[in-house]
Amino acid sequence: MAPVIEAEHIGKDYGSLTAVRDLSFVVEPGEVLGVLGPNGAGKTTAIRVLTTILPPSRGRFSVAGVPSSRSREIRRRIGVLPESAGYPERQTGQEYLTYHARLHGHTRASARAVVAGLLDEMGLRPRRGSLIASYSRGMRQRLGIARALVNDPAVVFLDEPTLGLDPAGQRQVLGHVRRLAQERSAAVLLSTHLLTEVEENCSRVLILNRGRAVAAGTVSEVVRLAAAPRSGRLQVAPEQAQLAAAVLAGVPSVARVTPDGRPGSLSVAFAAPGGGAEDVSLNAAVRALIDAGIVLISFQLEGARLSDAFLAMTEAA
Amino acid sequence: MATVEQAADLQVERDGPPGWAVVTAQELRDLWLGGRGLALSVAFSLLLSVVAYLVATNTALNFLEHRESVNLVLQIAIAVGGLLTLLAGADAVSGERERGSLESILLSPVPRGQITLGKLLAALSLWLAAYAITVPYAWFLGRGVGIVGDALVTGGVVGTMIAVFLASLGLIVSLFARSNRISLSLSLFLLLALFAPTQLPSNAQQGWAGELLLRMNPITAGEHYVGKILTNGHAWGEDVSWLLSPLVAAVVLPAAALILGSRFMQLRGGVVE
Repeated sequence: MAPVIEAEHIGKDYGSLTAVRDLSFVVEPGEVLGVLGPNGAGKTTAIRVLTTILPPSRGRFSVAGVPSSRSREIRRRIGVLPESAGYPERQTGQEYLTYHARLHGHTRASARAVVAGLLDEMGLRPRRGSLIASYSRGMRQRLGIARALVNDPAVVFLDEPTLGLDPAGQRQVLGHVRRLAQERSAAVLLSTHLLTEVEENCSRVLILNRGRAVAAGTVSEVVRLAAAPRSGRLQVAPEQAQLAAAVLAGVPSVARVTPDGRPGSLSVAFAAPGGGAEDVSLNAAVRALIDAGIVLISFQLEGARLSDAFLAMTEAA
Repeated sequence: MATVEQAADLQVERDGPPGWAVVTAQELRDLWLGGRGLALSVAFSLLLSVVAYLVATNTALNFLEHRESVNLVLQIAIAVGGLLTLLAGADAVSGERERGSLESILLSPVPRGQITLGKLLAALSLWLAAYAITVPYAWFLGRGVGIVGDALVTGGVVGTMIAVFLASLGLIVSLFARSNRISLSLSLFLLLALFAPTQLPSNAQQGWAGELLLRMNPITAGEHYVGKILTNGHAWGEDVSWLLSPLVAAVVLPAAALILGSRFMQLRGGVVE
């Protein structure tokens, strides 16, 4: 299947400031791509370029098979929840959605039907007649997602959709994001700086830093690419701690074993990570413990999470 | 042969109403059901009531002939009605920008020129309301001297041209202003500058230079024409050349607003992105 987003060497300048430079990536249908980056990395600018709000300074892209030169046609096929979207306080949720459905060419009757479905889907039906001024932050975000779906888009861009939401609100919004990809087969581009959101919801990740893509791929590919130094924290029965330390010291890929202060708890540093060799090292260490008859109560790998890769890539740049 | 985009445009227009009509309808709803238009209209009618009461009863002012009284009320209606449309236009883009709701409209497939047109038409509704409010005052003051019809027609024609001009001017300022406050302040400043020639001493308004100044300014030229018809009892065609600049302004400014709107309606004011 053809990609729904194809970006080739996109750049965007604001005067002498380059916000996005040489950005290239693809998104497949039904895929959730997480766009990560620290503040000012160029996430929002990249989204505004791809959604035709800003013209690119360089490069080209296509969305849903439509080239960037046909911006109106692209806007027909995308749904967008902008960062910090404002809402008309004196409109009701239903009026707001109906207005946007009609801007997308729906007749009064079809707009009414589409809006009724979206209000149900987003759990806003009971408050459809209330002024938006009375909506909570979470309700506004769900209203914004509903607005992004009035034209049944092939691609949905969500810029920081969970910003300012409490954990329950975040879970609710992310549930909608997953359903967008699963049930509507829409590709979703999710911009965020919350790494757990990406780990839990995205099939692929794009990390931006200072306007440049520094990594792209699945979460494990990006983590491997980052080659963050890895270590592990393991817990054994206190009476087996000494034996465990001796066994691990004999494993060639283990660089260092140190007690971390708590009974039965050891900290393990692995040698020469990178290129996938670290996974073999971990397996070898765990196997050596099991072969020695040591009961492994817990084992926590550090340096293998997206957050480690993210920090390694964005701080190093 | 139609391109894919043109075919899609036709599809939307076949299915739903044109974008400008959707924008106009929503803007009208926001303006009138939101209460802003109603509040401005009430304030306008209070102002006209005070003026009408003074010209009809005040000992210092009631020396005015009926014709002059009607002229005065109509001139005030045109000026204040124009001011209302100017303010509505000046808030149209920069206000949305500041409230954060412009981006979602720009993300719709409606061409930006059509969004501008929708906002312009909604702003003009304030002039229509002001005109409707003026009708009973003009009738009350002009009854018995046979100028009510003339007053309503000239007031309607000249007022509409000036309202279209000022609403478009406000919209253009709003497209480029960095903030809503700047947009409103600059629009008001421009309006004051346009009204300034009316405050010149009468000898400064004489001669070819003074007349040229009055004729070139759409507001002073329009009000001069209304005065000639109502106060001096001139025929319609006698001073029609005075309508040239209001007419040009009422054609050129909205056309400029639509062209500039389609090119420069952007997320950030004051810059070309």
